[in-house]
Amino acid sequence: MKRTTIASLANHFQHSRQFFLVAVVAAATALAGCSDQAAPEQQAATAETEIHSQAVNLATADAANADRNAYFGDLHVHTMYSFDAFIFGTTSSPDDAYEFAKGGTVVHPAGFDMTLNRPLDFYGVSDHAFYIGVLREMANPESEISKHEIAAGMTTLGDAADRGRKFYEIFDFMQTERAPEINDPEIRKSAWEDIKAAANRHNDPGNFTTFIAYEYTTSDRDQGNLHRNVIFRGDTAPELPFSRIDSQNPEDLWKWMDSNREQGIESLAIPHNSNGSNGSMFALVDWAGNPLDSAYSEQRMRNEPLVEITQVKGTSDTHPALSPNDEWSDFEIMKLRIASRLESKPNGSYIREAYLNGITLQDQQGFNPFKFGVIGSSDTHNATYAGDEDNYWSKVGLRDSDGVLRGSVPLDEPREGGEVYADTYFNQWGAAGLAAVWAEENTRDSIYDAFRRKETFGTTGPRMKVRFFAGYDLPELDDPNLVARAYANGVTMGGDLLAQSAESPEFIAWVARDAMSAPLQRVQIIKGWVQGGAAQERVIDVACSGGMAVDLATNRCPDNGASVDIGDCSISSNVGEAELKAKWRDPDFDPNQNAFYYVRALENPTCRWSTWDAVRAGVEPRADMATTIQERVWSSPIWITPAN
Amino acid sequence: MRSLLRQPFLWFLCISGALFVADARTSSQPEAIVVSPAVRQRIALLWETQMGTSPSANELESLIAGWIEEEALYREAMRLGLDREDSIIRRRLVQKLNFIAESDPVAEPEDATLEAFYESNIADYTLPERLTFSQLTFGEEASALAALDALASGADADTLGESTMLNRTYSYRSALDLNSTFGLGFASQIDTTVLSSWQGPYKSSFGYHLIRLNSVEPEQATPFFAARDKVVRDYSQANKKSARQRYVENLLENTEIRIE
Repeated sequence: MKRTTIASLANHFQHSRQFFLVAVVAAATALAGCSDQAAPEQQAATAETEIHSQAVNLATADAANADRNAYFGDLHVHTMYSFDAFIFGTTSSPDDAYEFAKGGTVVHPAGFDMTLNRPLDFYGVSDHAFYIGVLREMANPESEISKHEIAAGMTTLGDAADRGRKFYEIFDFMQTERAPEINDPEIRKSAWEDIKAAANRHNDPGNFTTFIAYEYTTSDRDQGNLHRNVIFRGDTAPELPFSRIDSQNPEDLWKWMDSNREQGIESLAIPHNSNGSNGSMFALVDWAGNPLDSAYSEQRMRNEPLVEITQVKGTSDTHPALSPNDEWSDFEIMKLRIASRLESKPNGSYIREAYLNGITLQDQQGFNPFKFGVIGSSDTHNATYAGDEDNYWSKVGLRDSDGVLRGSVPLDEPREGGEVYADTYFNQWGAAGLAAVWAEENTRDSIYDAFRRKETFGTTGPRMKVRFFAGYDLPELDDPNLVARAYANGVTMGGDLLAQSAESPEFIAWVARDAMSAPLQRVQIIKGWVQGGAAQERVIDVACSGGMAVDLATNRCPDNGASVDIGDCSISSNVGEAELKAKWRDPDFDPNQNAFYYVRALENPTCRWSTWDAVRAGVEPRADMATTIQERVWSSPIWITPAN
Repeated sequence: MRSLLRQPFLWFLCISGALFVADARTSSQPEAIVVSPAVRQRIALLWETQMGTSPSANELESLIAGWIEEEALYREAMRLGLDREDSIIRRRLVQKLNFIAESDPVAEPEDATLEAFYESNIADYTLPERLTFSQLTFGEEASALAALDALASGADADTLGESTMLNRTYSYRSALDLNSTFGLGFASQIDTTVLSSWQGPYKSSFGYHLIRLNSVEPEQATPFFAARDKVVRDYSQANKKSARQRYVENLLENTEIRIE
């Protein structure tokens, strides 16, 4: 091996965390020749290993990219330490979860293997804070907690129905004043320590990022869902996670996070399933029922820069009742409050409406409590991400592990009354979603900073990429340095643009397909604005597949004719685009209006998971469910600050 | 004394007494249910953890009465063999035993042991071949071919190719990475023996690509010390599995199994 190579490798090692290099050399002269440049770690490494005759280069990624790379992950993952996951049969640990995300295989409690067709870039195990590790301990007959009355049956959980019953038994108990009886701090500490240690063990700067995380699983008085995932930036976290048993009021969670931050422990919280919140996630009053004010707004935004827009339990972009003029609003709508069969009312439960209320508050009172970016995640309770329609195992273990249980394949025998499908709401669930960021490198710091900048996007599973810029001097679309120039001259998703003139700023919306999923059908910009005190929204197609032009009267692309054969889920070839890119000006721009713009891009239609289930079972897809879906990506918005 | 031994009635008493004792021991006459201080304490403690206060004298009395009744019923159920074909009880007992069987007595294995495990599972610690390359993207195959000609006659690669969201250079990408980025089947088209010159065009989900390999890292094992954490985890998993397996094998060895 040549000396120069060793020196340059050593140099890489010193200057980039992307590299894990062990330069091991045979010739003493070569070692002497480069030792002045070798990092101390490298020398130690050399000393520890046997002498081989070649360098071992373990690098598996690019060096940091100033134009930023897209990284895809899941920040919402439950393992055996979550009370419900354990009841559902999940015995996979946080270690198993991280191995799975890196490309490994985890066995589903029903016995089949779960493997992704490619690894993820980042992953955060986020178990429920209350009763963390407790149910698992209840199943250990030697433990004290197994003797508690609510532990009865924990060691003998049987079929899906049995597990469902036990879940609701614990869930109901959790909502009584006896809840703290089994919230054993010693068990929780031990589980939480293991979760933190697993995250730190698997964090591999440059290749794979993990986050210490947990779920704060609270709800309002009427089972309106107020769940949040808390994501820590660093490798330490408080001794115990703050849970609903400490307080059901999310404002108390923010206080706890604020006080941690003062002590140097940085974290952010990501609300999810606003769709099941019955109007409480984005309510216009605080916990005590008072109108929102700027102090509330500041505290919320300081702690909650992001919201989960899609996951297995439905999509929370918007609802047909809220966006009647959006033809794509009826997408993976989950109608119920979480863990119940109660309807969830749409108002106050969806992101687009929250953005609209946010800019209205900004317009009228000078603060915006809903100025957040978006990500997707799965909320798997199997430790394993579940966002692929054709590789779907849903998310509650033995309760929904096959087509019959999740209502996509008929029962062996019809139920009483002749209904041929299982009585379940799992058919309302979807295979989604992914959290994505634009970050310089795949490290905790870089990705966490992207969360804080809201330079994030969410997809329903495919690894589609979206760039979004606004500014007054953006580069041309064919500029080879488009990204660098757009960063330099404009703002990107998650940012604010000050209206500088009566002219509309330029917007660049650029979307790339997932190479392993369907091609793109259209790119849209969704605009919200306040006019005369009232919020308005509009969906505008800005780029169409097949070189077709947007009809300016309707703001719609012509139908590109893409189709799906639901007999075998094959899709039409040669229809749709690998990339769509548009530079757009808003013809109705008013520099005196508060406004936001975000991108939504749609794939050509593909089979929904339930159709894949039916195809594989050799039965007809269920008539009362969508047979196909259009997978999609949403960017975080850019907000316009009025000129006056 | 001698005269006493001659008394038939006394013999009768002795023999019948012995028979009575023998009968009591061998017949199904149930053993006494004993409410020991330990039992009372356990019952009181369970109440306390559930209710937050210790039971009153009355409460304790009725709890004990309940316990006696339950114990009697339990014993009778066992005597009747009701546990034998009950799948819930089977599962519970098997689970209890699994807890015992899987408990790994080895705390932290020796490095030598780990290293041997690492060696025998080296495939799990081996990085695949990784390519570092430049690429140009074209919508049409013809333009890719034209660019290939231009490159052959000295054109600057930076001026060629379309502006896409794909990078122009990629470092250390495995076949899996390549297929993930460019589409299934992309990696297998690349000739990894040709370094530093343009090859292609190769079809992807995005169009057609020219590729110039700058380096190829061969498939390589991660050195033991760098893989150690993973080895420890894998070793402990494997150990749990084999401990359970050994336990089951031992059991089966001492049990006759007849398949009829």
